[in-house]
Amino acid sequence: NKHSERLRKFKNKGKDAAALRRQRVEVNIELRKAKKDEQILKRRSISFSLMDESLSLGEEKRNEVIQLSLEEIVEAVNGSNTELQLQATQATRRMLSRQKDPPINQILELGIIPRLVEFLTHADNAPLQFEAAWALTNIASGTSDHTKAVVEGGAIPAFISLLSSQHMHISEQSVWALGNIAGDGPLYRDALINCNVIPPLLALVSPVTPVGFLRNITWTLSNLCRNKNPYPPLDAVKKVLPVLICLMEHEDKDIISDSCWAVSYLTDGSNDRIQIVVDTGILPRLVELMASPELIIMTPALRAIGNVVTGTDEQTQAAIDAGVLAVLPCLLRHAKPTVQKEAAWTLSNIAAGPCQQIQQLITSGLLPPLVELLDKGDFKAQKEAVWAVANFTTGGTVEQVVELVQSGVLKPLLNLLLAKDSKTILVILDTISNLFLAAEKLGETERLCLLVEELGGLEKIEALQTHDNNMVYRAALSIIEKYFSGE
Amino acid sequence: MELSDANLQTLTEYLKKTLDPDPAIRRPAEKFLESVEGSQNYPLLLLTLLEKSQENVIKVCASVTFKNYIKRNWRIVGILVEDEPNKICESDRIAIKANIVPLMLSSPEQIQKQLSDAISIIGREDFPQKWPDLLTEMVNRFQSGDFHVINGVLRTAHSLFKRYRHEFKSNELWTEIKLVLDAFALPLTNLFKATIELCSTHANDASALKVLFSSLILIAKLFYSLNFQDLPEFFEDNMETWMTNFHSLLTLDNKLLQTDDEEEAGLLELLKSQICDNAALYAQKYDEEFQPYLPRFVTAIWNLLVTTGQEVKYDLLVSNAIQFLASVCERPHYKHLFEDQNTLTSICEKVIVPNMEFRAADEEAFEDNSEEYIRRDLEGSDIDTRRRAACDLVRGLCKFFEGPVTGIFSGYVNSMLQEYAKNPSVNWKHKDAAIYLVTSLASKAQTQKHGITQANELVNLTEFFVNHIQPDLKSASVNEFPVLKADGIKYIMIFRNQVPKEQLLVSIPLLINHLQAESIVVHTYAAHALERLFTMRGTNNTTLITAAEMAPFVEVLLTNLFKALTLPGSSENEYIMKAIMRSFSLLQESIIPYIPSVITQLTQKLLAVSKNPSKPHFNHYMFESICLSIRITCKANPDAVGSFEEALFLVFTEILQNDVQEFIPYVFQVMSLLLEMHKNEIPSSYMALFPHLLQPVLWERTGNIPPLVRLLQAYLERGANTIASAAADKIPGLLGVFQKLIASKANDHQGFYLLNSIIEHMPPESVDQYRKQIFILLFQRLQNSKTTKFIKSFLVFINLYCIKYGALALQEIFDSIQPKMFGMVLEKIIIPEIQKVSGQVEKKICAVGITKILTECPPMMDTEYTKLWTPLLQALIGLFELPEDDTIPDEEHFIDIEDTPGYQTAFSQLAFAGKKEHDPVGQMVNNPRIHLAQSLHKLSTACPGRVPSMLSTSLNAEALQYLQGYLQAASVTLL
Repeated sequence: NKHSERLRKFKNKGKDAAALRRQRVEVNIELRKAKKDEQILKRRSISFSLMDESLSLGEEKRNEVIQLSLEEIVEAVNGSNTELQLQATQATRRMLSRQKDPPINQILELGIIPRLVEFLTHADNAPLQFEAAWALTNIASGTSDHTKAVVEGGAIPAFISLLSSQHMHISEQSVWALGNIAGDGPLYRDALINCNVIPPLLALVSPVTPVGFLRNITWTLSNLCRNKNPYPPLDAVKKVLPVLICLMEHEDKDIISDSCWAVSYLTDGSNDRIQIVVDTGILPRLVELMASPELIIMTPALRAIGNVVTGTDEQTQAAIDAGVLAVLPCLLRHAKPTVQKEAAWTLSNIAAGPCQQIQQLITSGLLPPLVELLDKGDFKAQKEAVWAVANFTTGGTVEQVVELVQSGVLKPLLNLLLAKDSKTILVILDTISNLFLAAEKLGETERLCLLVEELGGLEKIEALQTHDNNMVYRAALSIIEKYFSGE
Repeated sequence: MELSDANLQTLTEYLKKTLDPDPAIRRPAEKFLESVEGSQNYPLLLLTLLEKSQENVIKVCASVTFKNYIKRNWRIVGILVEDEPNKICESDRIAIKANIVPLMLSSPEQIQKQLSDAISIIGREDFPQKWPDLLTEMVNRFQSGDFHVINGVLRTAHSLFKRYRHEFKSNELWTEIKLVLDAFALPLTNLFKATIELCSTHANDASALKVLFSSLILIAKLFYSLNFQDLPEFFEDNMETWMTNFHSLLTLDNKLLQTDDEEEAGLLELLKSQICDNAALYAQKYDEEFQPYLPRFVTAIWNLLVTTGQEVKYDLLVSNAIQFLASVCERPHYKHLFEDQNTLTSICEKVIVPNMEFRAADEEAFEDNSEEYIRRDLEGSDIDTRRRAACDLVRGLCKFFEGPVTGIFSGYVNSMLQEYAKNPSVNWKHKDAAIYLVTSLASKAQTQKHGITQANELVNLTEFFVNHIQPDLKSASVNEFPVLKADGIKYIMIFRNQVPKEQLLVSIPLLINHLQAESIVVHTYAAHALERLFTMRGTNNTTLITAAEMAPFVEVLLTNLFKALTLPGSSENEYIMKAIMRSFSLLQESIIPYIPSVITQLTQKLLAVSKNPSKPHFNHYMFESICLSIRITCKANPDAVGSFEEALFLVFTEILQNDVQEFIPYVFQVMSLLLEMHKNEIPSSYMALFPHLLQPVLWERTGNIPPLVRLLQAYLERGANTIASAAADKIPGLLGVFQKLIASKANDHQGFYLLNSIIEHMPPESVDQYRKQIFILLFQRLQNSKTTKFIKSFLVFINLYCIKYGALALQEIFDSIQPKMFGMVLEKIIIPEIQKVSGQVEKKICAVGITKILTECPPMMDTEYTKLWTPLLQALIGLFELPEDDTIPDEEHFIDIEDTPGYQTAFSQLAFAGKKEHDPVGQMVNNPRIHLAQSLHKLSTACPGRVPSMLSTSLNAEALQYLQGYLQAASVTLL
């Protein structure tokens, strides 16, 4: 197979497809605000559910006059009067549940967390268990330090054993608390997994589980799949995955959304991780969900598929076979810039594949929306579209490159040489070089030169010869020298 | 060195000496300083001097010396270059970093600038990791309230952060930016607000305002740098503050800040200009977040444009502002901001038209600085001009509103033309604006080669041409209204592909006539327009305008062109010379009657400019014209070559004797052309020159190498026998040139050109004694530095050798250098690298050579080399069928750049002195694949059974299939 290996090397000029495919995270540092469309890592329980309201209504009346100070809370919690314990825990929970500025730090400083954790084990006092679980859930929803305090108070085993509580609301509250702990990061996620959280958690999923409860479980499961460095252990993933696949068939959109998020995390990694997901045969369902009108479903489904196509040619082919190319045009034209961007990123990775896949991309009518995006899209999406074109010109056959040019890619591509982003400019210049290589093979160099000049590209490339970035100016210079110097 | 008064004194003395105009005093002092700069405390002594010296010149000198010292030495290169130790010891580094910021801030401006530069050099290396307190130190100064200090900090920050504008995203970079944002963004925002407040409290204090506005400019620049890579969370959260203030600054005016200077932009203009850039950055990159603010900025910038004057000092601001509008109006979701007919009319009327007017400054340039004017107007170096920005805005608006915009402007054009008609001598500028407007409206795509290639269909270009352009050019006086003449000629030039051919033919005599205009711009444009018309392509890939159509004008054309070269200011006008070249090329043999006069004028010109060559393009076209004269004439009459030699050799000798470096490469090319024109044995005049061409000094200059090699190749082609018989003592010199060339990575291919010519043309016995030495030299170079380029040339050479001397001779010469060498070359070089050979002829040479090795070299069949037979065959089939391997190892990417000398010595190849590609294999082998099949067949008949068995054991299936194809095509079978 040396022959095809060399041919491939030639085609991609030393870069193999894996190098062309760009994983999601190039840079771990973010300057931007946390993305609004990301799944929430931790949640606080503010108004819990109807059940709680009805439950607390009665209490509210009873306790109306009782206002406990922080000192009184400490005293009561540490005391032995179960009635007072419940009152104090409830007061704590209520403070932590208020809409604005919950006093998590103040509560933390009271040092009552170990005691609250202890209450979780009071199987004979379900109301106390519940209030403590709720309060701890909300503490764990805070910063990493807050979560840490809860974990160090010994909450993990306590919550795990409460999963099997006979009181559904306690079990549900524990699911939530565990979700917050898992959401903190890979360390606690794995601590939970090592404490064997998965079997009792999965046991809660049944056809009769109420939807609200199921949403919480799905969300917690997704947090158990989340985060890299390291990834969640493989055997845990293998246990969770079949359940996620079932949940994805549910009719509730939050459940579908969170299970999609979970799968998107599982695919955000090395190719063997992707393979595990591909092997479940879930890709067609994911593609179907990508076309969902619900943003909360489409976003994670698109992510998951986007991740799959960062994998091997075969994995990408599986996504293509599942119909991803039919759905992408619509997403590339989506009104939301982040969706455009994600779709374009996905496309760029498909375009990094072998020419057979590029051909499928053409046949599925993806060039027109790609060109549109390049022309009119949001800048974030335009950047990804530029990558798509670059990869296309690196791996595509001469005929395919001709088709690309005929679809009008050149004008918007050259316009983007004015982009205020050095990398994008460099990628465009590389793409232009690729186009010229193709033109040379066809003996059409001169025509391409004229086209580039006509479309205002030449003067832009000339101007880039004074760009401050070394690589940009060198690339510009080399194009000018090769194709535009002399008569 | 200790930090002692004595040392300070010594250093002062030496610094003083470095300022001495006498090199005998200056140089040793510089040497001394360089010799002590590695000592500890040296930089601290300099810092002490620049702070405390009694004499200002010493302070400044110390600061400059310090900056240069930092520039040379701060970066620790030890990892890359082992011999260069770290010259600045750690304690000095720490001391410098601890003291430099306060020192910079308390210094007078002249020294502050040097220290600020030094800080950014240090910062580039040490910030942030190794200089963690720098930011805090800087930010703390914001509180000082002293704007001299604050501006110093801001300037330093700007020089530290401006690289964020062009560097690639990386973890390292973004970590740094995040750190800067955390420490800097809030204080900068507070400073911004405070400064704006101070501006209103000091609204009546001119000198305070100046300082405050300098701060605002720097703050606005820092905003740009910090927001460039991505939209930082902080700035997203504080967008309201920044954008509201930017917006109000755009609308602000204060008489105290207005400057009297017409040319230089004032603080207010600089600030507004930067704000336009900031708004454009947000509009382009962070559209989603910026959308709520954008309409306000559009309005403000548009108002700004309406109220800004025509003075040159506003040019940058105006062009930035227009470019902002141009980029916004193209975006679909902002279309509505421009849609309204009143808005469009007002933009056209108040923004576009005024900025297209021919200003006093343009008129001045047209008359007094025509070269600059031509460059701007013709060659598109007008990127920052108002006219250009206005054109871009027209194009941007036409994307969605072509109809309405064309309508509005048509009305305008008509009214301006009417104004002109009323009183041309007063109102000619109105017509200029009208022509410019039509041009910018009509042109949708343009190239130098073809002019406008796509035009607005709503504009009738031919009608405008006939009614408004031609009448101007037909007027009796070529010197009246020169600007309008230039406009008219330019119109023909750029719309040459839209205007019908019969109109172009009508224009040609008019253009020829305008070669006589006194205005440099006008006759230059006329020459340029003619040159462009002559390059236009018609059907059948011929020129659009034929020599026959030009016949009536040949004499007047040539006369006017050469006469134009005598007009004041145009004696070395490159456009005219290029038009001469193009005319020759178009007219071909119809110029022959005029050649005697032409060549006289050209040689006179050559002689004149060779005294002081200053216009490279002019010179280049002049030599091209000479080459064309030779080619055209000698094609009709080969014997004419003698008369050219007679006319030219005298000047050439002078050029060579005076060593006119710019011209020598050209002279060699013309001589090569002349020599190649000779059909018989080489003339003695050339042989007399031969020894001189081998002089090492000529080969020192890179620009000489290609044409000299070419010339020597011509010598070898025409006179190999003469050299062998009459100049055999020069052969070692010739080989010396070869040896020098192949030692260089940049020139080795030239060495091979020469060597290949020697092998191909010299009688074998004349080079016999040197052959082995040649191979040894090649091997030495191979061992010392093996580059892809060298390998490619080497492969071509050994295969050519094989063709010329036979495969057996090749094998023998290798094995005579070292036993089994031939096998090693096959295995390590030919088989793995042959795929890299590029070029039709080169590939053919290699194919034929390898075929010979396979089929005409007995040791390949019956020694240990036999095991290489099939791999070699497979490599050959690969050469035929696989795509060329154009990969270059990473470490070789920069070879060419580091070895390529600067522009001035670059070689300028003459297109019309070019020679056609030479194929040494020629008709001997037409189809190398068939040739391989036939040769294999011949081999198999000589030893039946062996070839098929070698093929079946180890040739891969695909290659075998190809081979069978060749055999079939050649109708032969293997026995």
